[in-house]
Amino acid sequence: MSAELIIETSSLVKRFGRAKALDGLDLHVTEGEVHGFLGPNGAGKSTTIRVLLGLMKATAGTARVFGLDPWSQSVTINRDIAYVPGDVSLWPNLTGGEAIDLLTSLRGGADAQRRAQLIEEFEFDPRKKARTYSKGNRQKVALIAAFARQAQLYILDEPSSGLDPLMESVFRRQIERARHDGATVLLSSHILSEVEQLCDRVTIIRAGVAVESGTLADLRHLSRTSFRVSGVADTSALQSIDGVHDVCQVGDTVECEVDAGAIPAVLTELAAQGASAVTAAPASLESLFLRHYSTAQ
Amino acid sequence: MRAVMLLLAAQARRDRWVLSIWIGGIGLLGLAVGGAITTSFAIEAERASIVALFVTNPAFLFLRGLPDGLSIGAVAFLQGFSFTAVLAALMSTFLVVRHTRADEELGRAELLCSTPLRRNAELRATIILGFLANASLVVVVAAGYTVGGLPFGGSIVAALAVGSVGLFFVGVAAVVVQALPTGRGSNGVAAALVGVAYLVRGIGDALGTPNAQLTQVTPSWISWLSPIGWGQATRPYSEPMLTPLLLLLAGFAVLAGTALVLRSRRDLDSSLVSDRAGASTARFGGRSVLGLAWRLQRATLLGWCVGVVVLGAIAGGLGPVVAQALQDNPSLSALIGNLVPGVTADIVDIFTAALLGIGGVLAAAAGVQAVLRLRTEEAEGRAELVLATPVSRVRWVSATLIVSGASVLAVCTTLGLATGVAIAQSSADMTAIARFTSAALAHAPAAVVFVAVTALVFAVLPRLTIALGWGLLVIGLVIGQFGELLQLPQWLQDVSPFHHSSAVPVEDLDVVAVLILLGITGVVAVAAIVLVRRRDITA
Repeated sequence: MSAELIIETSSLVKRFGRAKALDGLDLHVTEGEVHGFLGPNGAGKSTTIRVLLGLMKATAGTARVFGLDPWSQSVTINRDIAYVPGDVSLWPNLTGGEAIDLLTSLRGGADAQRRAQLIEEFEFDPRKKARTYSKGNRQKVALIAAFARQAQLYILDEPSSGLDPLMESVFRRQIERARHDGATVLLSSHILSEVEQLCDRVTIIRAGVAVESGTLADLRHLSRTSFRVSGVADTSALQSIDGVHDVCQVGDTVECEVDAGAIPAVLTELAAQGASAVTAAPASLESLFLRHYSTAQ
Repeated sequence: MRAVMLLLAAQARRDRWVLSIWIGGIGLLGLAVGGAITTSFAIEAERASIVALFVTNPAFLFLRGLPDGLSIGAVAFLQGFSFTAVLAALMSTFLVVRHTRADEELGRAELLCSTPLRRNAELRATIILGFLANASLVVVVAAGYTVGGLPFGGSIVAALAVGSVGLFFVGVAAVVVQALPTGRGSNGVAAALVGVAYLVRGIGDALGTPNAQLTQVTPSWISWLSPIGWGQATRPYSEPMLTPLLLLLAGFAVLAGTALVLRSRRDLDSSLVSDRAGASTARFGGRSVLGLAWRLQRATLLGWCVGVVVLGAIAGGLGPVVAQALQDNPSLSALIGNLVPGVTADIVDIFTAALLGIGGVLAAAAGVQAVLRLRTEEAEGRAELVLATPVSRVRWVSATLIVSGASVLAVCTTLGLATGVAIAQSSADMTAIARFTSAALAHAPAAVVFVAVTALVFAVLPRLTIALGWGLLVIGLVIGQFGELLQLPQWLQDVSPFHHSSAVPVEDLDVVAVLILLGITGVVAVAAIVLVRRRDITA
């Protein structure tokens, strides 16, 4: 890879007593990309992020952010980071506006115009005391604080889980803007459509280990394609091809899942049998996700 | 009713350790005081002299309560009751707030209210839990006093008085939580009301009239305005009287009933006092870590300062009244001369110095409370937000330590000024202001030790910060207030920083002790700042 690595962890291990939250995690995020960080609850996403922010010390392995060690140089690193936690907790007696100003000031001060614009776009009332805000509104505080000042790296931990669809689209626009400005984004999520729309590359993490990493195209390559064909008489021939799964016949149509490597063989067979209609759809991230999660059990 | 019982079981289970510690601790204190009086004051002449010391010194009457004869039980009751009653009251208010307003604020109550329960079911369960906790307290305290060697019958009455005061404050807190929007605010107001009950009783007792033999003091009517005064009026070890307890029980019933009605009529999350809209942008002070630490402590500190202004005004206003009373009674003045030979100190000074000592404990409490914010910030995830910005942990912890130290100084100074102004006003002696302000500040070095030690606990054992922070302060307070009475070994008494404070203006300022206390504070605070960098920020 020619582009510079903004985040790099290798064989990262984090133990809490006997439990291993991270078990040799490798994560590479290059400059300028929006990187999806996918995994089920408890997979170690938030722990990884806390290590990257210097809040927790890795038990073993190395982590580098901007080429620096986050544990010893978090102050330098965090100057260029904007962070939105998954569960935003605010100071009950501060108003939303005061919390935004505090957080941006600690990073060096907000761009006043952008702050005002974000407050308007997110339809946020900054004058209320934080204890009266709902989950979504607390998340808006963290999002506005993060985007109101330009950062080199945005670390977002399930940032839109409390937002309604309208606000989610505001959020997406901000990610696009950050990407346009050349910033790097690490977006932890389990909302697949969001990752599919926003991310250039994805790392899937399960039980503290990265199980897949690559562009969406790469991952789809690893995954299966769904076929729906008509006019095929002999399904047993299809079934006998290595890499064809879940063949089922509904009336005139046959459906099956095909591994990437088996696609040429399937096409040859379909041509030989004189199929009258073929629909092939790339596997959604959903099915990719399900495949990895289900093997976890 | 079955649902209420289920809630009660859940609340009791959640509280099983907290309440065991409270009840066991208060029982142990009863055992210790009873045992100490039985062994150290076995001879009646010794008891007569200590009782005479109380009768002649309104400061003791104010702090401890009323002498009620020379029996062993009466002397133990005099030494221990008001303090024990305050502990029972605080146990009760914290219990109620924890299960009602605090849960409501955190959104747990919403989950419960969505089930087919009556709106006030949770409050009912909490009131029953408060009743059971105080009933257990009666049993344990009665056992403690009896095992300590006090007469059985009187011990039962004394324990009933403690438990009834506790129960009364279950009712008080149940009403307070209906009025305030937050658990923190409710805890503050309910605890302040406990303080008011203690102060009112103190004023009434200090203005009481002694009998001719100097074995007994009849309180002024003011003591009858305080529930703790009612508990004391049972006089368990002389002429036991249960009627004042009926007053406490009736008060509890009325308050609890009011709270239940208020709860069943109000919306979830609503309160009498509610939030107004605030600023949409932060002012300059709200844009830094130090500003944040200050902002978080501001309102609480104001509460502490108002509290000590009241205390100082009482101390300063009461002193001259007491001195006048003594002047009018030559036999009393002669007795003081005999009891404390060589002490030529002004009676007003003795009285005031004792109160300023209490002020030192309050200042430490204000400082410790400010440090404990660090842990709450961490546990509730806000530390993460701050530390994910280019703010180092050193800066984060230091900012809070600065605000905590300033809180200690503010509480001491305020108390000293209030006392001095009150005395200056009645005696037309303007030097009193400077004299008592510096006297109050003499207690600050001991108080800041607690601030630093709490910070160290936070750095090393974060999960125990809140328990140990308050626990160490209570231990320091008990050693300071009861150490000599319980004849604790000298080294143990020396461990308490308060033991090294100078009771200015009665004593001279011990400069070496001040320097040592400040040195310890500095070393411990630096250790805390260094060690906090080595651990994970955890929830």
